[in-house]
Amino acid sequence: MRTTSFTRVVSLTSALGALAAIAFAAPAMAADNDGLTLAPGFSATVVQEGLGAGRHLVVAANGDIYLASRDGLVAMRDKDHDGKVDETAKFGDVQGTEVRIYKDWLYVSDNVGVYRYPLKKGELAPSGAKQVVVAGFPMERQHADKTFALDPKGTLYVNVGAPSNSCQQKDRQEGSLGQDPCPILEKYGGVWVFDGNKTDQTPANGRRFATGMRNAVAIEWNAAQNELYSVIHGRDSIDTLFPALYNAEDNATRQAEEFHKIVDGGNYGWPYTFFDTKLGKRVVAPEYGGDAKKEPEAGKYPNPLVAFPAHWAPNDLLFYTGKNFPEKYQNGAFIAFHGSWNRAPEPQAGYKVVFQPMKDGKPSGAYEVFADGFAGEMADNNPRNAKYRPVGLAIGPDGSLYISDSQKGRIWRVSYAKK
Amino acid sequence: MSARPQLVALTTLLVSAACAVGSDAPVPAVPASQPTTAATAGNPPADSRPPGQRLYAQHCLSCHQADGGGVPNMQPPIAGGTWVKGDPRALALFVMSGGFGSAERKDSASDNVMPEFRQLPDADLAEILSYIRAKFGGGASAVSAADVAAARANLK
Repeated sequence: MRTTSFTRVVSLTSALGALAAIAFAAPAMAADNDGLTLAPGFSATVVQEGLGAGRHLVVAANGDIYLASRDGLVAMRDKDHDGKVDETAKFGDVQGTEVRIYKDWLYVSDNVGVYRYPLKKGELAPSGAKQVVVAGFPMERQHADKTFALDPKGTLYVNVGAPSNSCQQKDRQEGSLGQDPCPILEKYGGVWVFDGNKTDQTPANGRRFATGMRNAVAIEWNAAQNELYSVIHGRDSIDTLFPALYNAEDNATRQAEEFHKIVDGGNYGWPYTFFDTKLGKRVVAPEYGGDAKKEPEAGKYPNPLVAFPAHWAPNDLLFYTGKNFPEKYQNGAFIAFHGSWNRAPEPQAGYKVVFQPMKDGKPSGAYEVFADGFAGEMADNNPRNAKYRPVGLAIGPDGSLYISDSQKGRIWRVSYAKK
Repeated sequence: MSARPQLVALTTLLVSAACAVGSDAPVPAVPASQPTTAATAGNPPADSRPPGQRLYAQHCLSCHQADGGGVPNMQPPIAGGTWVKGDPRALALFVMSGGFGSAERKDSASDNVMPEFRQLPDADLAEILSYIRAKFGGGASAVSAADVAAARANLK
């Protein structure tokens, strides 16, 4: 969740909580939910739009919204509590993906570092100077977004994605075999931990917490379980790289997007393996001697909690702890799937927000599509033509769910209409 | 709760099945109804598409997409670019060599680098390049196998 346990306590116990209750009562819900299809009983309103290449977002205890984007940071406030933003301020100089609140700080990241701005009472756009929490990650192009999570102690868990598809000797080259051992894993392809309370750290101050993760964009601290979780982007192109083993339909459907609990010292199998949703088991990657059915050594890598369909692109994960949604959503996982490109020529898929019921930190039933219809017709089966692509999730102080979009920078607020 | 495996059928997809399991539970194999073999995977059934279109779909489409428009932030478009309608041999050399290295493309809007396609025969490359020039290059001239062979002589 984006509202940390600290801010959640504040929202429930202070005057700010009363403010939030007013905010929830006021807005009229659009009858058509802005064209989105939602789970029964839910409705959506557009709170802001036109913010560019939006990424993750966070909602403060007072209802202020902070959006990270490839075009910079944006702060938004709904001053008259009508459900629409009426004050928008760009600030800072960070263009990136992550944004979180921890204590009185707004933590943000770009491709090479994590930074923070002080959040001062009453202030929308932070006026205080940016501090470097950790900087100096190598500049890469693939899987470079340094998404992160913070636990209640301020431990900072940074996703350092692998600048590679499958650690081939020549990346994305047909038939090229895997580097063994994969040297990329020394500096990438895992989660590194830092003390998020300290400033001016470098990657050398961090410790590799978990490995074998191609790109863990959707990474989240589960406060109820006191554990880290992630939905990891699976590999691309098994068909074009190894056409003797896999066809286009295989590539479009078999490599799971893996939902895992991320434990200290864990190894989640990239690049040596992937979880094959057709076989329902983990297989050795073709770059490492896989034959489309060979399994790795038993017990070496954990199976996913949930194997989501190939290429859906899980870009944000949130455990619901708000007070607006029905009981079944409590502590369950919302996942924003940005949508595929690598399923072509098969129809693209993803482009939706999914709810995974959870109990005691484990899946407790089949996942459900929670919000869909973002992509629209998507002419030519090309992601470029998606109307919207969900990319970020946050909980508001009233318990509503905020969803951000990367195509046009639109933000929706989804609430449950209490009967 | 028990950590028993659960299979979740997706009604919107023909093939995808998602498998929700506890991390500490063994996952039973789901029998593959149509086992993939080299014979079926490598040799798709007879295809009525022109060879250039078929070969584009096989080697290029997943990145550059059916409309040649690429994928924002990931792979650049072919359509509307200068390479596709320029000198045929320069285009052939570029595709056989692979995309620019990271140092050369620091200002590129695309994250992924095109792999080499020198493993393809001259005739197949000629079909692909002729197809993309006709479709995405404003009807630019066809590329012959001889053009590809001449470009191949300059490969490093």
